[in-house]
Order: sequence, then C-alpha cells, then structure tokens
Amino acid sequence: MPSSPILFFLLFLCFFCTQLSCTKTEVQALLAWRSSLKDPGRLTQMWTSNNISTDPCQWDGIKCNEAGSIISLSISGCQIDGTLDKFNFSSFPNLTELWMDHNENLHGGIPKEIGTLHNLQYLHLSSNNLVGEIPVTISNLSNLEDLDLSFNQLTGAIPSAILNMSSLHYLYLGNNNLTGQIPKTIGNLINLEELHLSANYIKGAIPREIEHLTNLTLLSLYENELSGQIPLEIGNMTELRIADLRYNKLQGNIPATIAQLPNLSFLYLGNNQLNGTVTPYLGNNSYLEGIDLSNNNFVGTLPPLLCRRGELQYLQAANNSFILLPITLKNCSSLTELDLHENNIRADVSQTLGEHPNLSLIDLSKNRFYGRLPSNLGGNILSLSLEGNEISGDIPKELANSTSLAILNLSNNNFSSLPLIQAPALESLHASNNKFTGEFPLLQQNWTNLVTLDIGKNNFYGKIPSWIGSSFPVLKILRLGSNQFEGYIPPQLSMLNNLRLLDFSNNNLKGPIPHVLSHMHSMVIKTMTNESYITYFVSNTNEEESIDFMWKGVEATYQETIALLTGIDFSCNALSGEIPEDLMKLQGLISLNLSRNQLSGMIPNNIGNLTSLEVLDLSMNILSGTIPPSISHLTSLDTLSLSHNKLTGQIPSGPQLQTFNMSDFSDNVGLCGFPLPNNCLTHNNSIVPLVENEAGYKKIEVIWIICSVILGYVIGFWVYFGALYWKISLRFAIFQFTDKMQDKMMKWCGRYFH
Amino acid sequence: MASSSLLISLASCLLFLALSPALASNSEGEALCAFKSRLSDPNNVLQSWDQSLVNPCTWFHVTCDSQNRVIRLDLGNSNITGTLGPELGRLQHLQYLELYRNSFMGKIPEELGNLKNLVSMDLYENQLEGEIPKSLSKLKSLRFMRLNNNKLTGSIPRELVTLSNLKVLDFSNNDLCGTIPVDGPFSTFPPESFENNKRLNGPELLGLASYDFGC
Repeated sequence: MPSSPILFFLLFLCFFCTQLSCTKTEVQALLAWRSSLKDPGRLTQMWTSNNISTDPCQWDGIKCNEAGSIISLSISGCQIDGTLDKFNFSSFPNLTELWMDHNENLHGGIPKEIGTLHNLQYLHLSSNNLVGEIPVTISNLSNLEDLDLSFNQLTGAIPSAILNMSSLHYLYLGNNNLTGQIPKTIGNLINLEELHLSANYIKGAIPREIEHLTNLTLLSLYENELSGQIPLEIGNMTELRIADLRYNKLQGNIPATIAQLPNLSFLYLGNNQLNGTVTPYLGNNSYLEGIDLSNNNFVGTLPPLLCRRGELQYLQAANNSFILLPITLKNCSSLTELDLHENNIRADVSQTLGEHPNLSLIDLSKNRFYGRLPSNLGGNILSLSLEGNEISGDIPKELANSTSLAILNLSNNNFSSLPLIQAPALESLHASNNKFTGEFPLLQQNWTNLVTLDIGKNNFYGKIPSWIGSSFPVLKILRLGSNQFEGYIPPQLSMLNNLRLLDFSNNNLKGPIPHVLSHMHSMVIKTMTNESYITYFVSNTNEEESIDFMWKGVEATYQETIALLTGIDFSCNALSGEIPEDLMKLQGLISLNLSRNQLSGMIPNNIGNLTSLEVLDLSMNILSGTIPPSISHLTSLDTLSLSHNKLTGQIPSGPQLQTFNMSDFSDNVGLCGFPLPNNCLTHNNSIVPLVENEAGYKKIEVIWIICSVILGYVIGFWVYFGALYWKISLRFAIFQFTDKMQDKMMKWCGRYFH
Repeated sequence: MASSSLLISLASCLLFLALSPALASNSEGEALCAFKSRLSDPNNVLQSWDQSLVNPCTWFHVTCDSQNRVIRLDLGNSNITGTLGPELGRLQHLQYLELYRNSFMGKIPEELGNLKNLVSMDLYENQLEGEIPKSLSKLKSLRFMRLNNNKLTGSIPRELVTLSNLKVLDFSNNDLCGTIPVDGPFSTFPPESFENNKRLNGPELLGLASYDFGC
C-alpha cells in the first residue's frame, strides 16, 4: 500500500516528537488555532518571534518546562474573537494551566477534546461567551484542582461525573444558564474548598451528601431555583465559613445543626420561603460577622447569641414577622449595619440602639418601636430610618449635629420637637406625620447637599422663611403640606434651581402666587433625564429616595419614577389674585394643583404651553372669564377639574377635552357647551332650557296656541250667554237693541229696493 | 442617549416579563409592557413604565381607579411609532383609549372588542390599515369612536349599529368602501363623519336585500 510508508514515517515522527517533547507540534497547534480565529486580538503580537526559529517558550503568556514543552498557557483578556473548535488540545500533553478567561468574543462550545489535557490542574475559561453543555470529558482530568467556567452562557445540567472529581479544590460554575439538579455525587468532592453554582437555574433540593464536604469553606448557591429544606447535614461541614443561599425557593426551618458549625462567619439566607423560629443557639459556636435573614417568614425573637463573639457587623432581617429583639443587641458594639425594617418588632428603641459606635446604616422602619431615642446614637451614623413606628420625644442633639448623617427618616412617628439641625452631609430629611410644632424648623442655612425636605403633616406655624430660596442649591423635593403655615409664599423660592416637586398644600398661606416662580429652572425644561430614581450613595450602597404622593386621586409610593415627578401643589390655602401668566413657562410641569383657594381673574391664555401637564386642578376658586382655547393643546391631560368657579362661555373643544365629564366643569354659572348639557346661544351666553330637539320646541308652541284659542272660545261663549242668562235687564236691552236694528235694516232695505 | 435609556427601560420591562410568572396579579402591567415592546418612543414618553412595580398605576399617561385597575391610557400626540398588539384587550376596565396623532401602523386588533367598559376610542390621525374589526360591536359602553385620518379599508361593519350609546363617530379620511349603515346610532351621524372615503358609496339601500357594492 502506498500510504503505509507515509503512515510509518508519521508514526516515527510522532514517537520522535513525544520523546523529545517536540515543541514543533505545540507551536503548530497554537498557530493553527490562531489562524482559525476571526480576530486573534493581542495574540498577533504576543505570539511572534524575532528569530527564525519559532520558540513559543519565549512568547508572552507561555511557560515551558525544562524539556521545552508548554506547561502554562495564559491568554486572558486578549480580545480573542473566535471559537475553540480548532484548538488541538491533544498537542499539549504537559499543559498544567490554561487561562483563557475574559475574552468576551470567545464563543462556541467547549470541545470534548479538552479531556485529553491529562496533566491539567487549573482550567479557567470564565467571562467568555461560551455556550452548550459542560463536556463530561472534563471529568477525565484527574489532576484538575481549579475549574472555573463561570460567567458564560453554558446550558444543560451539571454532569454528575464532574461533581465526582475528588481532585477538585475550587469549582466555579456560577453565572451561566445551567439547569437540572445538583447531583448527589457532590459528596465525593472531599477536597473541595469553594463551590460557586450561583446565578443559574438549578432546581431541586440541596443534596444531603454535602455533609461530606468537610473541607468546604465557601458554599455559594444564590440566585437559583433550589427548593426543599436546607439539609440538617449542613451541620457537619466543619470548615464552612460562608454560606450564601439567597434568592432561592428554600422552605422550612433553618436546621438547628447550623449553630454547631465552628467556623461559620457569614450566613446569607435572604429571599427564600423559610419560616419558623431561628435557632436561639445561632452564633454560639463561631465568630459570626454577617447574617442575612431578610425576605422570609421567620417569626419569634431574633436569636440572642448572634453577637456573642463580638464580631457581628452586618445584621439584615428585614421583611419577616419577628416580634422581639434580644437585649444582647444593645451591647453588640461591632455592628455597622442593622436592618430590621418591616417586621412586627415591639421594643423600646432606647434599649435597642445605644452602644454602637460603628453603626452607620440603621433601618428600623415599619415596626412597633416605642420610647425615646437614646442620646448616644453613634458618631459615624450615615443613614437612620425610623419611619412608621411609635417613637416619641425629641431628636437628640448628637443626631442633629452629626457631621456624617446623610439620610434621616423620622416620618410617621410621635416625635414632638425638632432642634436646630446642623448636619452638613444631610441629603434626605423626612419628618412628616409627627407631632412637631413651632415655627419653620431651624435648619442650618447652608445645605449644599439636601435633596429632599419633607416636613408635611405636622403642626408647624408661622411664616415660610425667605432664606429658603438661597439655602438649598440642590433641593429637588420640598413638602410643607398639611401644616399651619401662614403669610405669603416667599418669591425667593424661585432661586431653587433644582426644585421639581413643590407642595405647600393645606396651609393658611395667603396673597398672590409669585410670578417669579416661573424662574424655577428645573420646572421650566421638560424632564429629559436618563435617571428616573433619586439615589444616595451611602457607604457603598445605593439608597433610593421614595415619597408618598397623591396624584390623580390615588395616593401611591413613588420610588422608581420619583425623579420624573414635576409638580406644584398649592391647594387648600387662602391664596388670592390671578394665576400668573408667567407660571405657564414651567413646561416641565406634569401636575398643577391650585384648587381650593380664592384665585380670581382669568385662566391664563397661554395655559396651552404646559404641554407635559397630565393633571390640572383649578377647582374651587373664583376664576372668571372664559376657558382659554389653548387648553386644547394639552394632549397629555388625563385629569382636569375646573368645577366650582365663575367661569363663563363655551367650553373649548379639543382632543383631550372631549374625554372629560360634566363633573369636571360643574358649578360654573356661565359655562356652556359640551360636556355640559346646556348649549350656548350665539349672541349671548344665557342658559337655554333643556330641549330634546327643535321639533320638541315647536311642539310646545303649538300646544300653547291651541290652548289659548280654545280658552278664548270658552270664555267668550260663557261671558255672552252667561250674562244673558243671569241679567234680565241685560237680556231686555240686548233684545230691544236687536229688534231696533232689525227695524232699521228692513226700512233701509225697503227704501233701497223701491 | 435616549436610545440607551429606551433600551434599558425596555430591557427591564422584558426582563421582568420573562422572569416573573409570580406577578400574575400584575397582568395589566404586563399587558402594557407588551404594548410598549412593539413601539418606538423617541420622546421617551414611556420612560416611567417600570414593570417591576406592583401595578402600573404610578406610570405616567396611565390612570387607575381606586382599585388600581387601568381606566385611562392617554398617549395622544406623543410621536410614537409601532403597531397595536392584542394585549390591549386585557385592560378590562379601560374607559378611555387615547392614541390619536401618532404613527401607529398595522391593523386594529380585534381584541379591542373585549374592552367592555370602553367609553372613548380615539385612534385618529395614525397610519392604521386593514379593516375595522367586527368585534368592535361588542363595545356596548362606547360613546366616542374616532378612527378618522388613517388608511383603513374594507366596509363599515353592519354590526356597529348595535352600539346604542354611540354619540360621536368619525371615519372620515380613510379608504373605506361599501355603504354607510343607517340604523341605530348611524341615523344621527352627519355626513362629515364619513367624508373623504373615495370608495364609500353613501347610505345603504334598504330593501329586501341590503348589500355592499364596490368593495
């Protein structure tokens, strides 16, 4: 056969090559693969030589052994565009490390030939664009210690053979599209130190075989669809330091055995369907640093030993049904973050907060805390939210003078007195719905950071100070509604260039609406922002602003779109004078409520300029004149109320105006036209009685004529014959008269015809 | 800039559409998100439409009743291009559908006939084509139907005479054919409601057999 000598030669060459660890096949394989790539990226410059001989051991990212054979190939972040299909894995028998991560255009599948790299210890293919299933042949790599395929688009289930590789120390498969269940063979990974399966679609229960993972320090399974209970065998994982099981569908109790783990520092169980009480021994055996129990259905008391070893920094238990706190919490001086919002906790706030010098983020909102705030709230506090509790008394001076405080939310409590607040870092101050009283709170007059100020629903009185205009350069939301403020609206408000939401409703303000408010720059321009949230960056977390806003008759909480709300609410005051024409320059307004005042004069002619307006409420004033035709330009208007005024004339027609009802215009004596039932007459605007149609109108006329004719006949008949009947002398007189006339007639006729 | 924010809000919309089957109670929000996905919105009018919210009642251009059900959709004159999808029919409590003066294309979905509470349907001044769906005769509460200034074809469905609450109708400036019904509310509509439909032949001839010709 002619091919057999060739075959023999090739075999000889191969043998020769392997004996000499022939780098020639290795370099050929590298170059062949590189030329198969659509774009080799940096490989072009990395894999070049100056000499005639191509010695890859001199190339960037390549290490060789003493025999000159490649043992390490490192091509991370090389902007490679192509696939691994033409990569001849079998040409690299001595390869121990393969780093090919962070090439976002490296696509296609992982070829099964990768299983031929018998000496491979480290395999890193993360942060690429690889698809398809994980090849089972990887389980042939009996020396593999590190396997990192995370941040790709791999699909299918994790092959059970892979979870059987006892050589593995680090297994990272997170951030893919893996499905199926965690194989029970996982128990064989006795050397495993870190397991990342997070951010996939893995279902089923956590296998009980995890008890064999006695070397595992990090168990990361968050963001999957794991269900069932956490196996109590977890208590046997003696090296476990971090357990992150968040964002799954785990049910049942936390197994009590978890408290026996001697090395557990971080236990993250948030966002599952766990319930029951949390074992009171949790924290007894280990140095807990971080706990996340949030968004589950836990009940009872927060476990008392969490802070036993004095290391607990992060305690997150929001959105459960806890009712009690352990007294040990007050002495947990290592705490930096405490979040218990939305539980049913009934506790004295002064017994909860206190000895926490490092506590910077506190959220106790929406519970049943009572009592008064302690004075030693810690000097490092960044964010304090107590909203929705039953706390009373005053605000401690230490808090009011805090130089670090950025977010303070005291709304919906029973606080009664606000001291001078001199917190220069404050960005958000909510104090609404308390029992605060006195004049406009003495705030420091130089707030370069304040974005939101809400002191509505209290008993503040006195004037709104004019320095407000020059003291809040970045203020976006100003809410003073539902107080007893009086006096004039200070025109200096117009200097607030970032103001978006202005609410002075339900006070005793009088006088005119200052026309210079048209200078509020942030309301003049139409909202053109990419960011619809208002966020505060506080201690490496993003806190989002939210307010409860009454709009279109419904009160709702606005958070995701709060930065888009642009409105003025001066309703329910005693404002007088005209609505300034200049106000119509505020083209960014989506809501304008001036109802329930004593505003007079006409609605400005150019009201049509407010093209973003969705809500316009001018009801219950004494506005007169006609409704300007330009109102028909407001094509976004979905709520309109002009009722209870003194408006006259024809209601303009227009596309949005056609969609409103009678009730939106009612109680305006001179107003006519659709949608009111009364038509307008062309020469004057008096009311015409309701008639169905012209024929009906004529009908009534005809009836009147007929009636009066008949009446005339009846009266005439009875007057004449009645008189004849009753008065004899009249009868005589009439009959005599008739006889005389008859005689005269006969005489005349006789004379004429002879 | 605008396109990237559109992309982000659309992506967030679609992301929650795909990954949140538990939000079944938010089906009106899902319907509006599906509606938004067919549209191009250069003025970012729909920027506030965030699917992750419990209900769409805080979205701009959407009005809800006291039970958080959508009653108005006001997107007139908003420079929107796109098609109308069947999901609009899921807004069971919708009373006012204001989509006039945009560039909506394609057909009027027959699912709009499911909006049994609809009082006002304003689709005028768009580029809608195809026939007027017969299913619109199910809109028993309808008082205002304005489809003028589109490219609608076909005949006026006879079934529309059953809409006894209809007060204002405008089909002018289209490409409708056949004859105009004369029964029911159609007896009150002035001829201007049908003008500029070149192939429309005038009022129907009543007799033993009423028929459309030239269609």
